[in-house]
Amino acid sequence: MSSTITSRQMNPFDKILDKLCLTPAGFCGLALLFVLPFIPPFNQEYMLRWLIYCGLIAAMSVGFDLTAGYISIVNFGYAAVSGFGGYSSALLVINMGLSPWIAMIAGGMTAGFIGLIIGMISLRLRGIFAACLSWFFGLAIMGLTIKLVWLTRGQLGLRTPRLFETDSNVPFYFLIITLLFFIYLACKWIVRSKMGLAFQAIGQNMDAARTSGINPVYYRVMNFTISCAIAGVLGGFYAHFYGILTPDMMHTSKTVEILAVAYIGGRGSLWGGAVIAFPFIFLMEIVRSTLSNLPGLNLVIYALVLILVMIYYPGGFSYFYDTNIRKPKNKALRYFFNGRA
Amino acid sequence: MSNNYGSKFLSWIKSAAGLSIVVTIVVAVVASIASGPYLLVNTVVTGGMLALVATGLTLMLGVLNIPMFAHGEFFMIGSLAAFYVFTPISNYTNENPDSIIVVFGPLIAMAASTIIGAISGIIAEKLVFGPLRRRSTDDWVMNSFLLTVGLSVLLINLHQLVFGADFKGIVGYWSGMPISIYDVFISRDRVMAFMIAAVIVVLFWFFMTYTRTGMAIRAVSQDITGAQIVGIDIEKIVLLTISLACALSAVAGGSLLFMYPSYPTVGLEPLYMAWFVVILSGLGNVLGAVAGAFIVALLKVITVEYIGAGWDFVIPSALIMFILIFKPSGIFGSDVRGALDK
Repeated sequence: MSSTITSRQMNPFDKILDKLCLTPAGFCGLALLFVLPFIPPFNQEYMLRWLIYCGLIAAMSVGFDLTAGYISIVNFGYAAVSGFGGYSSALLVINMGLSPWIAMIAGGMTAGFIGLIIGMISLRLRGIFAACLSWFFGLAIMGLTIKLVWLTRGQLGLRTPRLFETDSNVPFYFLIITLLFFIYLACKWIVRSKMGLAFQAIGQNMDAARTSGINPVYYRVMNFTISCAIAGVLGGFYAHFYGILTPDMMHTSKTVEILAVAYIGGRGSLWGGAVIAFPFIFLMEIVRSTLSNLPGLNLVIYALVLILVMIYYPGGFSYFYDTNIRKPKNKALRYFFNGRA
Repeated sequence: MSNNYGSKFLSWIKSAAGLSIVVTIVVAVVASIASGPYLLVNTVVTGGMLALVATGLTLMLGVLNIPMFAHGEFFMIGSLAAFYVFTPISNYTNENPDSIIVVFGPLIAMAASTIIGAISGIIAEKLVFGPLRRRSTDDWVMNSFLLTVGLSVLLINLHQLVFGADFKGIVGYWSGMPISIYDVFISRDRVMAFMIAAVIVVLFWFFMTYTRTGMAIRAVSQDITGAQIVGIDIEKIVLLTISLACALSAVAGGSLLFMYPSYPTVGLEPLYMAWFVVILSGLGNVLGAVAGAFIVALLKVITVEYIGAGWDFVIPSALIMFILIFKPSGIFGSDVRGALDK
């Protein structure tokens, strides 16, 4: 976003919004998310559980989009990396008695380390090869998790302590929304910085980027590390929210779920996936729970939406928003959708 | 003259392709001497099936630049079709054990799975890939990849929705005593599955190498514009390729129904394995895919034998990653970078 007005002319509110990378519309959306658990249909516990799941997928899709949308490599082992973070966090808590909060961060760091490895070994590969390599890596991690029964209890599932000692889902909901916001903010700041420019240059044309003096090794590995660290922290949240970890959370279908949300939201926008995850995943959960005599129907709809979006609207929701909603005639509305920047 | 061939052979041995094939053969022989010849039989049967799925995948990649993620689902379609065709046939043969259907019934089921696989491939092209090809502007490879991801999820869940999630399997195609070769008993189904795979792969290779249509397909895979200039109807070739690729996958599913009963996610394992093969052997190389299929099958069988079941994703994928680090274009691949690298 190029700023046409210099920062001197902006009032403090706009300045803060700009630093937070939010438009007034985005700010309202965030505020809505924070009051949502008190609005009647959503204040029931099972609805909150769905909303937490929405928030988790939204945050994952932001981290995923940092790789897929900016350096154009689909990290197909994303769920596995996240699961790795979750498992390492859970194991740290169980075996070493760490507090879940610190363990979550440690999980993020170990997942970031995995991202470093994936980034290093996929350096010579491009496009679909790199996607396949990260996929195989994910499969290997998942296979290890299933087979190292003495450590992870395999398919039986690992019981983990929860972050808050309550039965209520409300604190978890606020935590995931905060996490989502900070992840978004971190990614957006990275994207706005010089590093983000380098990411885009690498994503569009690697050879041209190299010619203009960008070191693709450093930036690609950096990107993988950051994006995987985000996945790891979220995996830690998953572990300490649901209280049970199974290797299923590393399955490729989970990556597909994140990927679908990120792409329907619009690649390269960061916010698209986060916005679309809430209505989309929520509706899917409603379909799944109300039509439970038709198992798999929600995933059929899921896949159909993904296919239709890929064929007819590959830009996703963020492209639709940018072209159709963002430029209304009304000045106040325009401010609402764009902010001052 | 013989010296010339000898030096050529030596240099081939030293290349990555020769080295890996020789190592594979040596490992296969040593392992089957150490643990029994059934290892070799398993490798050959699994490899034959994998060769079918992987050649289809390679064809899609080479000709259409579609990294097919839904290929396993055509395997599933094939096994489903074979199940629903073979069940009435086996009911009939149970009542009339002397009829000629006993011998040919399974073949009918496999033929049906092939045809249904081809038809579903054509439907997929008409409904999904065709519209994308007409509308796609850039980044075709990644977009089509994500499209096939969606297709895969769709087909898996449609299967679950329409036919249920239970296992739809059969006891066996051909009943009767297993065939024994040097004290190794191999069930007739396995022998036939391998024979069918071998016949189809050979026919397919023949088709690709010597017929005009096969040459046209190869021409399109090398250069679409060039192929168009010399008067090849691209649309027809594309349709043919997709139906061929899907039929290859489906016939693998149909002929292995006795090993893999049909259930929604039956296609995932062949899909993973086929992707291992394709990445290992380099993209768009049909003969390489056949060789790679046996290498991966051997890897899998050896892993299951010596390390244990369940490790067969970990070890092969780790090894393939290791190979990819040193040889990014695969063992049999050329170093030319194409559209797939973008």
